[in-house]
Amino acid sequence: MNSISLVNGGIECQNNGKDNNLRNQIARPTLYGCVDTITIGSLTGSGGREVSLWKIMSVSEATLPEAIDGGSSSEFRRGVISCLPVLLGTIPYALVLGAQATQKGLSAVELPLMTGLNFAGGSEFAAIQLWTSPPHIALIVAITFLVNSRHFLMGAALAPFLGHLPQRKVFPALFFLCDESWALGLADAKQRAAAGITPAFSPRYYMGAALAMYLAWVGFTAAGALLGPMLGHVETYGFDMAFPAVFLVLMRGMWKGVAAARPWLVSLVVAALVYLFIPGAWYVAAGAMSGLLAAWLMAGEA
Amino acid sequence: MATLLTIVLMAGVTYLTRIGGYVVLRNRVLSARATAVMEAAPGCVLISVIAPAFVSKNPADLLALAITFVAAMRLSMLPTVLIGVASAGLLRHLIG
Repeated sequence: MNSISLVNGGIECQNNGKDNNLRNQIARPTLYGCVDTITIGSLTGSGGREVSLWKIMSVSEATLPEAIDGGSSSEFRRGVISCLPVLLGTIPYALVLGAQATQKGLSAVELPLMTGLNFAGGSEFAAIQLWTSPPHIALIVAITFLVNSRHFLMGAALAPFLGHLPQRKVFPALFFLCDESWALGLADAKQRAAAGITPAFSPRYYMGAALAMYLAWVGFTAAGALLGPMLGHVETYGFDMAFPAVFLVLMRGMWKGVAAARPWLVSLVVAALVYLFIPGAWYVAAGAMSGLLAAWLMAGEA
Repeated sequence: MATLLTIVLMAGVTYLTRIGGYVVLRNRVLSARATAVMEAAPGCVLISVIAPAFVSKNPADLLALAITFVAAMRLSMLPTVLIGVASAGLLRHLIG
């Protein structure tokens, strides 16, 4: 597992054996980029769509000189360009989400409305997975909140860099906060801080990356919803296995050892039992909450 | 109507999580315990969502999940998903 720690303004890249070919995989098109974890102090942003940190490293290293004397439009362009490799991995999944959504009865208008207003891929995959007609509103909204709870940590990590910006700019910008825009924007800010550039956070760079993600996500989920009916019933082809595949790879990216993963096992067992014995989709809430309770109890032991 | 309401509420709670960290947490330090819970949360949610796949009654699905699991531990996102989808499609055709 590879991780980059952003500590005291410096960037360390750890490559713990195994993935020695990681550099060769920079161009690999992965669902949400490749799976790495970002550790900022004690905070970990993970889940949802993830980002290749090698891409962040290589892109921000390559474009750092431009950051120093770049004007506003070149800052925006720098953000868009740094996001392009991430898009390569995101687009297939946007199409799959769109196709899946039409199987669950969402229209080609409703789905882009969801991805455009909500704009948080992990929660949208979960919502579509749980979607019924009519939808179980409380359950889906609660799961959306839980899946996206990592945004709290991400926003908190970003907050120290936003001090120089007026709130009328911060609040709209935070609408576009996703794993990719956050990771790119924060890594860039850390690097500019290390290079002595003030202010360290470049809002136009961040918005370039964020808007590129946004347009691609909404556009290609809509395209998937339009093309979905042509694909027929996705279950027949095994497309539904994309969800366990995506989630398992995301979880590998969050892996921090057996001890830290014990709450996941609790969640899995409880969710599976509730699924088998209690009708409805409550297994998700039951599994998630029991896992969080386990994490809380375990943290008390340590 | 229920669909629209669900979407708007989803968007609302998601936006709250996005601004929440900035508004509430920027001047505070999370306790170790709260941090541990926050770090475990995404994984707990994700595994709960896919838990039914682990107790499927279709042997083809279980075998495909096992193959997908092994792939997920070793490969990146795109190959894992391709292997998962292909193995599920093939095994359902052959066994299921």
